[in-house]
Amino acid sequence: MNPENYIILSGLLFTIGALGVMIRRNAIVVFMSIELMLNAANLAFVSFARINGTLDGQVVAFFVMIVAAAEVVVGLAIIVTIFRTRRSASIDEPNLLKY
Amino acid sequence: MIGTGAVVAQTAPLLAPLNAATGIFQYIWVLIALPLAGAIILLTTGSLLKRWGHIIGVATVGVSAILGIIMLLEMMGRSADDRAFGQTAFTWVFAGQFDVDVAFQLDQLSMVFVLLITIVGTLIHIYSIGYMAHDPDRKRFFGFLNLFIAAMLLLVLADNYLLLYVGWEGVGLASYLLIGFWQYKNSAAAAAKKAFVINRVGDVGLSLAIMLMFVTFGSVTFSSVFANAGEASDSTLTWIGLLLLLAAAGKSAQFPLQAWLLDAMEGPTPVSALIHAATMVTAGVYLIVRSNAIYDRTVFAATAVVVVGVITMIIGAIIGSAKDDIKKALAGSTMSQIGYMVLAAGLGPIGYVFAIFHLLTHGVFKANLFLSAGSVMHGMNNGVNMRRFGALRAAMIITFGAFTAGYLAIIGIPPFSGFYSKDKIIHAAFEQSNIVGIAGVLAAGITGFYMTRMIVMTFFGKARWEDDAHPHESPPVMTIPLIILGFGSAFTGMALVYWGDIETWLTPVTGLEERELAIPTVVLEMLTLATVLVGVGVAIWIYRRSVPIEPPQKVSVLTVAARQNMFDDAINDVVAVRPTWYTARFLVWFDNRAVDGFVNGLAAAVGGVSGRLRRIQTGFTRTYALVMVIGVLAVLTALGLVMLP
Amino acid sequence: MDDVLIAPDIDYLAVAPMIIVGVTAVVGVLVEAFAPRRPRRGIQLVLTFGALIAAFVVLISQAGTRVITGSLAIDGPSLVLQGLILLIAIVSAMLMAERRVDPAGDAFSPRASALPGSEEERVLSTRGFMQTEVWPLMLFAVVGMMLFTAANDLLVMFIALEIMSLPLYLLAGMSRRRRLLSQEAALKYFILGAFSSAFFIFGAAMLYGFSGTISLPGIADALSANPGQTPLIFIGFGLVVIGLLFKVGAVPFHQWVPDVYQGSPSAVTAFMAAAVKVAAFGALLRFLYVAFGGARWDWQPALWIIAIATMLVGSILAITQTDIKRMLAYSSIAQAGFILVGVIAVNPEGVAAVMFYLAAYGFATLGAFAVISLVRQDGGEATHLSNWAGLGKRSPVLALSMSLFMLSFAGIPLTSGFIGKFTVFEAAILADAVPLVIVGVIASIIAAFFYVRVIVLMFFTEPAEVGPTVVLPSVFTTLVLAISVAVTVILGVFPQPVLDLVEQANVFLR
Repeated sequence: MNPENYIILSGLLFTIGALGVMIRRNAIVVFMSIELMLNAANLAFVSFARINGTLDGQVVAFFVMIVAAAEVVVGLAIIVTIFRTRRSASIDEPNLLKY
Repeated sequence: MIGTGAVVAQTAPLLAPLNAATGIFQYIWVLIALPLAGAIILLTTGSLLKRWGHIIGVATVGVSAILGIIMLLEMMGRSADDRAFGQTAFTWVFAGQFDVDVAFQLDQLSMVFVLLITIVGTLIHIYSIGYMAHDPDRKRFFGFLNLFIAAMLLLVLADNYLLLYVGWEGVGLASYLLIGFWQYKNSAAAAAKKAFVINRVGDVGLSLAIMLMFVTFGSVTFSSVFANAGEASDSTLTWIGLLLLLAAAGKSAQFPLQAWLLDAMEGPTPVSALIHAATMVTAGVYLIVRSNAIYDRTVFAATAVVVVGVITMIIGAIIGSAKDDIKKALAGSTMSQIGYMVLAAGLGPIGYVFAIFHLLTHGVFKANLFLSAGSVMHGMNNGVNMRRFGALRAAMIITFGAFTAGYLAIIGIPPFSGFYSKDKIIHAAFEQSNIVGIAGVLAAGITGFYMTRMIVMTFFGKARWEDDAHPHESPPVMTIPLIILGFGSAFTGMALVYWGDIETWLTPVTGLEERELAIPTVVLEMLTLATVLVGVGVAIWIYRRSVPIEPPQKVSVLTVAARQNMFDDAINDVVAVRPTWYTARFLVWFDNRAVDGFVNGLAAAVGGVSGRLRRIQTGFTRTYALVMVIGVLAVLTALGLVMLP
Repeated sequence: MDDVLIAPDIDYLAVAPMIIVGVTAVVGVLVEAFAPRRPRRGIQLVLTFGALIAAFVVLISQAGTRVITGSLAIDGPSLVLQGLILLIAIVSAMLMAERRVDPAGDAFSPRASALPGSEEERVLSTRGFMQTEVWPLMLFAVVGMMLFTAANDLLVMFIALEIMSLPLYLLAGMSRRRRLLSQEAALKYFILGAFSSAFFIFGAAMLYGFSGTISLPGIADALSANPGQTPLIFIGFGLVVIGLLFKVGAVPFHQWVPDVYQGSPSAVTAFMAAAVKVAAFGALLRFLYVAFGGARWDWQPALWIIAIATMLVGSILAITQTDIKRMLAYSSIAQAGFILVGVIAVNPEGVAAVMFYLAAYGFATLGAFAVISLVRQDGGEATHLSNWAGLGKRSPVLALSMSLFMLSFAGIPLTSGFIGKFTVFEAAILADAVPLVIVGVIASIIAAFFYVRVIVLMFFTEPAEVGPTVVLPSVFTTLVLAISVAVTVILGVFPQPVLDLVEQANVFLR
């Protein structure tokens, strides 16, 4: 199969992720959408590694996964704290800071 | 054609390198450091030193003045090519090809400014002790006043444009703080804001001019800019000249940036005298005269300077004729007189010297007039409306005497100082162009009118005082400076012509050129004097009997009567006075509505945009993400348009 | 093909400052786990200041180093910016260590997990609990920042970005007062920050796809080898730059800035405003100059527009703000615009000017937030501008220092801000970007308006009946103020040594 299709797939995944961030209200789902964007990047890296014939892309993919894991730790900590305070995980609800 | 165009005498400016500062001139920096130290002490010590603050303020400026006088005497003892000194304090910015020192230049031009600033400054400081005696914030007032003196001295002593810019911003800041000193008055706050906004427009001119000089000459020191001015292209020089003119117009309240000066009168009167009459507002004239090497090479920019000067000279005089507020009338007069100076400066070597000459005499007599007005206000419960003055000459005889000296000086009655300096400018104007000369004579006539109106309404006629007014003479701490300035108004002109020989003194810096006139100088002087006397006569004619308490256009029994009286008697004035009157009204209206409208409109527009734009900041994270994505798409589109063929 | 794993050749001395801070951060975590509660704060303070100062000393001793080691470039700009980050970190650490101004303890919540307003929080607070995790978090952020300025490939840049950001997301949410605002700031910062780093890494993937390498010089080589245009280049470049512009706070990626700056504890805001700007501009400069310096004609138009929008939007929006922290946030957006003008110049003067501007801005910001942390009402900070009326009467020294910082932001001569603006505009003029300079001058004139308004408010407006109190700080905040005032004045009056320094260090290794 043509590896370039994977690039197109990764672009689609990335777009879906970006749309998810803008459309979904639940902070957890927004967060998952961001993870989807990161994984889309991973897919692109691995596919390009295959196309270019270099290993760098695969190495990057591993690092991105680790970074994503760290991001989950921090992100969930923040979201859970907000949830405990406000009894809601809606991202629209914390809206005191504006203008 | 009065001017024949034939050049009688011509002296080019001396572009000799500056002498190293030795002897007393090693202490140029002390001139600035003293008032600066005073300002720092006064502004940082809180309630400490409350009782002695004003003494520190006066002493630091006074010592600077004495030091300045010693330097003058030393300088006069030297030969003409040995009178300019340079002193480098330290290297301020040195980046790549760009090198700016904190360095001072004391030459004949800056010397006279130092004396004007420090001597008039000292007198006004002393006067303020009395004037501000009951103000709880007197100490802070003196702190700002000292800050102003330091910044103004830096402005005239800088040896490069960047350091001059430092002083320029410094005086602007001090002026802003002092106009708004009585911030609890809404009008004062608004006036400070207006002055700030308009001055920033001028500052754009200066900063862009400096950038342009740096790009063109690779340096911003006076010496190297002037030495290399000949090599720059005409259009560059014209741009620099126009940008400097914009800066000068902002600072010196020249058309079209003149509007702030009238409102600036909301500040305490000593401030009006020092900053908005004698010193800061003349900084624009200094800037133009200092940059003579640039204006000499660009006819277009120089002509623009003359045009701005003439317009301001006329409209300032007309505004001065229409205001009932004594300080605003004087402010109009200041605009007009600075218009004379700017006009003279635009004439090139014919006029530079006389611009400075008039600047010096004006600094003295206008400070005198303002302080006299302040003394009147002091005795009249801080009233400023001349319609509620009248017959004050008996109540405050010293103030009246001082005001009269200033009056005779500004309208140019020989041998008072304005006569010498103003006639020189009119003479120079005729050498260049008849129209400019005639405008100068005309403005002199209007000056005679509005000043006579002022003195008649204030000191003569019937008393039209407020019920609770008890006019009294001011304390000696105020009258002594008045007396000194009164004598100054009388004799500065003579002293500078016969004793100081101002022309020879300044020529090495500015150059001098004289052209032939078709008529003898005496005839021209008589012509001017006659015009002035006509103005005086008209004013006496109109205001000889009574002045309505309310401005004429408002309807009340009293004013209707007074108005009838006034206009019946002045039937033949209809031809001459009414049009002037309406023009004046229009200008006042224009100033109040259009310019205010513009400034307020600008502020409102920015504020409105701000108010709308901040609504985008909804507080919703998802909106922010949306805006980011829109930004991403915009950036990618822009990049794609550029990168993809 | 031999199976021997070849150990990379690393110049450990050159990266020692980062190692020192990083290892100390890890030790700090261990201290949190094992040390008893009482001496913990003391230990953490010693560790933090010790590590930062030691790293700075080692950095100074390395001043002449110019070396590429692994994926890091230790060259002039990275050394100067790392030094600046360390100095800013030391000063912000002092601000964070302040315990005198808040009657209940320091600026941070006793336990971030406790519910706001709950009994647990009250008990913890009265018993004097303090969250000492902030110290290792801060050190991690510092490591990330230092790494960010030195990163010579896209992967390290991404990792550095995350190491820098993740601790800051947490620190933003740890305020002791106004915890709802603080938590909201953390959430917004986190979501948007993660969103922007997703763009960054996807852009990196595109660039990797184009050039087959992730190293910045490698990308530059690939660009000059294949001048042909493919969408991969501009998509990749655009997305990576957007990720960096987000951290800088450039329009239209600026919207997080006001919310986060307002909600975070002032000490953290000061640290973020000053240090993150340094790090992010360092990375942006390196990316634009090393990888895309040759293609500058392609990207300059887009960045021109962004710089102009950033200067204007920041200045204009600041005018109508009523909260001083929020006003300073918009001001920081405008300042980012001015710095971008220097970035766009793409000449050595621009690099030097940007570095100088960052130093000038950083210390004035630290000082301004230090002042903010001292003006308090009912225990918390009094950030509404109306509370600042008449401050000059109550506390002239504090009001004068605040005025100095405001004048510096406004770019009034004899303050550091003036020299900063001047050098930046000078670099832009040398690069023929005159229109940009004109917009810059106009924007700085608009901006002067709200800075001066604060001064007028402090000195000329009558104070309210029940005004805020000005707290006497301990030696920590006093030092912060003194240092900030000194730097602001010295960089304005005697900028020469620092200008020389940045001049010598304005070339990127590649």
